[in-house]
Formats: sequence, C-alpha cells, structure tokens
Amino acid sequence: MKISVERTGGIAALTRVWTVTADTARARNQWQPIVEACPWDAVPKTVRAAAAAVEGSQPDRFFYAIRAGQRRAALPEQSVTGPWRVLVDSTRAASEDSG
Amino acid sequence: MRRLARQDAPEFSVAARAAKEALSHVRSFQSARTAPGPVVPPGLRDVQPGPPVRSIYDAGGSETLPGKLVRKEGDPESGDVAADEAYVGLGHTHRLFADIFGRNSIDGAGLPLDATVHFGKLYDNAFWDGRQMVFGDGDGQVFERFTRSLSVIGHELTHGVTQFSAGLAYRNQAGALNESMSDVFGALVEQYVKKQPVSKASWLIGEGLFTPQVQGSALRSMKAPGTAYDDDVLGKDPQPDSMDSYVRTSADNGGVHINSGIPNRAFYLTAESLGGNAWEAPGRIWYETLTGGSLPATATFRVFARATAAAAVELFGSGSTEHDAVRKAWETVKVKV
Repeated sequence: MKISVERTGGIAALTRVWTVTADTARARNQWQPIVEACPWDAVPKTVRAAAAAVEGSQPDRFFYAIRAGQRRAALPEQSVTGPWRVLVDSTRAASEDSG
Repeated sequence: MRRLARQDAPEFSVAARAAKEALSHVRSFQSARTAPGPVVPPGLRDVQPGPPVRSIYDAGGSETLPGKLVRKEGDPESGDVAADEAYVGLGHTHRLFADIFGRNSIDGAGLPLDATVHFGKLYDNAFWDGRQMVFGDGDGQVFERFTRSLSVIGHELTHGVTQFSAGLAYRNQAGALNESMSDVFGALVEQYVKKQPVSKASWLIGEGLFTPQVQGSALRSMKAPGTAYDDDVLGKDPQPDSMDSYVRTSADNGGVHINSGIPNRAFYLTAESLGGNAWEAPGRIWYETLTGGSLPATATFRVFARATAAAAVELFGSGSTEHDAVRKAWETVKVKV
C-alpha cells in the first residue's frame, strides 16, 4: 500500500509531497490501523471541493491531499485533526526518515 | 461629477467640494451594496485614524489561538525576537495605512491588531484567519521564522483590509487579485519604512525567509515574476509575468499565489513609469480601487485593470501621466483595459 500526503497553498505556495510505501507484512500491520482510523467517506475527495467547503476567509492556509491505496481525501489544514493528523504526521515523519 | 470634483480653481471650489462629497456618498453606498464583510458606516471614512492597539500572543508550539499574551500596546520589548518583530511590523503596517491612506486600522474603524507567533511545530507558513495574523517559526530547513519579513507581515494584514473592503473571493483571478493586493501593500510597508523610492526598492516579497540552503532570494518578485527562486528541491518560481503565460490550475485555489505575478507586475510597471515613491500616486490609485466600493468581489484582472484606470482618472484626470502609466502597465502584461 502506498500512502502519500501532498501539501499545497500557504503564503509561499510551495507544493510538498511525502510518501511511504508499506510493502511488507510488518509495515502493512503498522499502517493499516492508522489509515483505517480516518473517516474517508466523510470528507471531500478533491482539494477544490475541500476549498469550497471552507467557511469564512482564511487566506494563505495549507491544503492537504491524502491518498492511501485507492482511498482519497482532501482537507484544509484546520481540519487535519485527530486520526487525520496522526496519518499526516506519521507519513511525513516516515518519509523524512527514509529520505 | 468626477470632472467637477477635480476642479482646483477657486470659483469652482464650492461645487468641487460638493461633488467630492456626493461622490464619496456614492462610493459609500456602493461599498455598502457590494462589500460582503462588515460595512463601515460612511462617516467613518472621514474619521482621523487612531493609534494602533496591538496584542502579541505566543502559541508556544501549539495550534491553539490566540495563545498567551506576551506583549500588548505600549509594553517594552518582550525579549522574544518573533513577538517583538510582529509587534514592530504591525505598527509599521498600521502607520502606512493611517499616514498615507487615512485608514483607521484594518477595518477602517480602529480594529485592534492581534497576532500569534510560535504557532505549531516547525510550521512553515503565516496566515490571516479572518480575525488575526498567525506566524510559524519555519522548519529551519527551507524557511526561517516568518516574522523576519516585514513585507510578509504587511501581506497578512492587507488580507484583513481586503476582507473588510472589496472582499475579493479567494479563488481564480479574484483570488490572485486578493493575493496581489497583499503583495502590493506588503511591499509598500517595507518601502515606506525604509523611505525607498521605486528605483531603490527590491520589490521582493518575503526576502530573508529562505534558509541559506535554498537557492532563492524571496517568495516572489513583483519586478520580475518567476525569478525569485530556482532550487533543486523547491523547483523554479512558477509566477507568470503576463497573460501570455497565465497558469490554469486547480491547485492553490486556482493559482492565487501564481497568477498574482501578473497584477503585481502591473503595479510595479506603473510605479516604475511614474518614479518617486510607490506609496504615493501608484499606492493611492490601487488603494482607491480596493476600497472605493465599486470593485466586485469576483473581479477578473480586466475588471480590476479598468477600475485602476478609472481611479487614476478620478484622482489625477483623464490623460494624466498617472492615467497613462496605469494603462501602459496593463497593456505590457497583456490585460486589456
């Protein structure tokens, strides 16, 4: 299973991508619960839809596009909380460790 | 009426004053009709700007706003570099809008200026959340702390000014104009503090934010969009410098930080053509366009360009040097006026 987190927006508008490939049984066992904990069906699938759902004016904020296997999610940074935050932070940390 | 309002001759002074007042009322009415944010009563446009009322908070690495108050208006330096930079930067930004444009804080009605520093862990961003400014410390690899750049502090506060005036939508061309307003007045804050004329200014946004490891001088260049950085890891500055290279994308709210290069350059070209200080005639034209009340929230580049030309005519007269400079600037970036 490949997991990727793409962060766009921000005042600098620099796109950053962090990826992790869980291709061993041990890695899949480690990542599966983190991925399964996220409510994939309750959030927008595209950054455009996520941006349209943001209430009020919040210029210069980040957006996250998250993929895990066939699943897709897009969230403004202020919605990256709870299990989403665990998934994003874990992916970023693992990606930076491997890089 | 606009022609009448510009009359300087004594015999026209009463009529000119009456016309100016009438136009002011029209603008206030238009503002009330189109502005999506809180509406400033017409009388407040004439209120003398008050001093800033600043409060700087420390989030201590959390993402909870506003955090702990570390310096309020009139307090001595806190000893925290980011908090003190934010305090000073807010003051400089308030002073540009008050001294030069007669604006009483962000909302035109004396809104207190709140900012939070040390937001999040290794957070490489700064933003306006609709009520206050927020600054991260940077990740130390690509970015330093975001309060280092006065143009960035001015940029964030100007998002507030836009929210309380034209209310430009944060998507596609209107969003790129929203971003451009923040870059224009962010650059002007820096130039006004340094007393830099057009020719001496860097026209860079976010100079000093990148760590020495990054091949780049700033986030954006208003003078030469697309040239601010070219780095192995970050890639090349993607900003276009005219409509010929306009970027169509769904990312970044439709490229709001990318296509802002086009109106940014139009402002620079206007200022370059006029010389002197950019916060004077060019700044007045852009400020009047943003706050005059007739700019729609969904303005395109063309609508905005026409509005700047109309503001130049209103302020300086048809066929004036300023009017010509504005028209030629938009022509150069391939936006039809």
